[in-house]
Amino acid sequence: MIFNSLEFFIFLFIVYILYWFVFKKSLKAQNILILLASYTFYAWWDWRFLSLILLSTIVDYFVAKKIDSNTIQSKRKLWLWVSVFFNVGLLGFFKYYNFFVDSWIDMFSVFGYTIKSTWTLRIILPVGISFYTFQTMSYSFDVYYKKLKPTTDFLSFATFVSFFPQLVAGPIERASNLLSQILKKRVFSYDQAVGGLKLILWGLFKKVVIADSLGPIVDDIFSNYSQYPASTLILGVTLFSFQVYGDFSGYSDIAIGTAKLFGVELKSNFKFPQFSRNVAEYWQRWHVSLSTWFRHYVYIPLGGSRVSKLKSVRNICIIFLISGFWHGANWTFVFWGAFHALAFIPVFLMGRNTIYKDSVVGENTFLPSLTEIGQVLLTFSIVTFSRIFFRSESITDAFKFIKKIVTNFSYETYNHPMGYRMIDYYVLIVLFILYEYSIRKDERSPFKFKYKAIRFVAYALVILGMLLFYDSSMDRSFIYFQF
Amino acid sequence: MKKLVIKSFLYFVLILCVLEVLVRVFHLTKDYPVRIVDEYNVEKWKPNQEGYSVTGNRRQNFSKFYINSSGYNSYREFTPSKDKVEIALVGDSFIEGFHQNYYNSIGKKIEDRLIDVEVYEYGYSGYDLADQLHLINQYESTFNLIDYVIIGIKFENDLNRGEYNIVQERIRLESPIYRAMRQIKLLVYLQNIGAFDAPRELMRKLLSRRNDNVVIISEQEEIRLQKELETNYIKNFENLVKIYNFDKERFILFLDSKKNPLIFLEYLHHNNFKFIDFSKALSDTKIPTTLIYDKHWNNHGRNIIAELIANYIKLTM
Repeated sequence: MIFNSLEFFIFLFIVYILYWFVFKKSLKAQNILILLASYTFYAWWDWRFLSLILLSTIVDYFVAKKIDSNTIQSKRKLWLWVSVFFNVGLLGFFKYYNFFVDSWIDMFSVFGYTIKSTWTLRIILPVGISFYTFQTMSYSFDVYYKKLKPTTDFLSFATFVSFFPQLVAGPIERASNLLSQILKKRVFSYDQAVGGLKLILWGLFKKVVIADSLGPIVDDIFSNYSQYPASTLILGVTLFSFQVYGDFSGYSDIAIGTAKLFGVELKSNFKFPQFSRNVAEYWQRWHVSLSTWFRHYVYIPLGGSRVSKLKSVRNICIIFLISGFWHGANWTFVFWGAFHALAFIPVFLMGRNTIYKDSVVGENTFLPSLTEIGQVLLTFSIVTFSRIFFRSESITDAFKFIKKIVTNFSYETYNHPMGYRMIDYYVLIVLFILYEYSIRKDERSPFKFKYKAIRFVAYALVILGMLLFYDSSMDRSFIYFQF
Repeated sequence: MKKLVIKSFLYFVLILCVLEVLVRVFHLTKDYPVRIVDEYNVEKWKPNQEGYSVTGNRRQNFSKFYINSSGYNSYREFTPSKDKVEIALVGDSFIEGFHQNYYNSIGKKIEDRLIDVEVYEYGYSGYDLADQLHLINQYESTFNLIDYVIIGIKFENDLNRGEYNIVQERIRLESPIYRAMRQIKLLVYLQNIGAFDAPRELMRKLLSRRNDNVVIISEQEEIRLQKELETNYIKNFENLVKIYNFDKERFILFLDSKKNPLIFLEYLHHNNFKFIDFSKALSDTKIPTTLIYDKHWNNHGRNIIAELIANYIKLTM
């Protein structure tokens, strides 16, 4: 059941009605409904993997209790490692097992040994495993660092782990934010519900109009990159930047909006990363929940930036490499992470990694300055370039793609693989950038207009846009589901 | 909660109204001409109406149609006489040509290639051979004045019945409820872009769970069924030709040999039916001959077809 499907909206409607009309009386009732709904939502993909969620829930629930009840530091640490080993083990087996076996075999073949691959298994990647394992681990970490008392309410904890709006692709929530809300009875708020509906609408627009309409173009260019001139490859990777942003931020908006409908506030996951002025700012705006997770649970425990410059650089490399690897069992993602580390380190060494933390481009003016435009374009180019690794099927493909751009530049007009007018897409992207720029100060209010009439026109235009670019024959799944 | 429900409903209705206006203002969806069954029991379009045919979400194909006084989409009136040379193209949506401007049709392109020849396009979506021969038969006096009658035929679609009768499914589209629904342009637009595919698919899934009896047919059985079907279709052809007085001298079949089984092509040869095969002409070109959104011929495809027919007429004139 994906967010942009009819099934989901029917499901959402039923759960919403039950939640506010039948199960609203007590916290327990609310949580029972959310838990059942979340398990149904997940079982729609593959009910067999529900056992993994349940197992992860049970392990971290008891591990956290053990950590809290122990006063001896070494024992607390031991229990924390139980949680880490269990969750990382789960992830490692389902996501990385075949990758390690294949890489091992490839390594031997470099030295002239041929090993027949009989160890690889036919494993299905359980959807959302990278997200919910990180979420449950964060709970154990927070209890370990004494930022949180473990809950004694198993039902609420299970609801926290499996909360359906963010179960399969985040935002990865910390227990201090989500669990604390789940432990309290939710009360209906008109403003919150309306805010949720607005976010769902905007998220759907980003998914249906931006991501799905660009998908066939990007797929065509990346699949046939050897036949296209460099100009088309640049177009392909640029459009992929918008596609992946529309896809993932669209998903996050729908998730946040859906949670709001149930009286729960999730953390923002995207803060207009395309308007970042350097790579550090980009990482404060792109997939914020994952960046925050790595910062809190990997970077800071390693010493963060409070150690020597050399060690800080090492820490940066570690989190970017892990972050890359988190995205998928392919060397392309490791290279992608490494590329970002290389782009981030100079910004860090110049001490510019936090200067844009609390501001947006064009902070006090309507239009950005020329310097800002230059910074934004440069950052966008760097990030877009890195996406060649992110999108390519293999590392060889990625380097061939880059080689063609760098050594054999030529220009040709690109035609849509299905023969559609390309100008429609160029106009769409320009309008999208301008609109997102106009709302850049608040990612949670995509329709923040003073006048009702303007707001209404915006709703109508967004829906019209969805109709104009809707394609019923399209594969409409979300890119980040594969992670 | 009450406020949310009321306001959501209000916004929903208002947005639907705005969308209806936008669809109309930008003419995002097609106009449906009215269909009739005339006094000769021939199904065709109501004479003298015009409108626009639109394909794609963003009006990627936009063309004007004009239904003449005979009830067919054409740039000219059909006035055959003994002292002129006329060609009639009788066929389905490919000849009807709602996907092109009516003044840029295959008929017009043929006329441009020949001197003093008038081309009458008797095209109607969904026409099969029974419809076509019934039309010719009912308007015999008109067709007797026409020198060449070219009849489009697709073996797999056009021969599944051996006698004409009105297709009730098509006529039902003129019932008051359908007509009223077509007045809501947003509804027409949503249907055309496939917005109702998801609910339909969901319904299908739910129903198929109830009746999931899948019949598996062996390869031999499939071949046997195919042969049986071909034999039946040829029988239907024989029957139609017999009932409706097919004139082998003036009537020329127009077909794609790649989409017709060999057995049927041999049958046509043996029984001295004339036909024009457009298969090679279309496959020889490297430029696409069909539209993006559907299988109908684009301008290039129509040029090729017109050239082929014009050359055939030149040779036989």
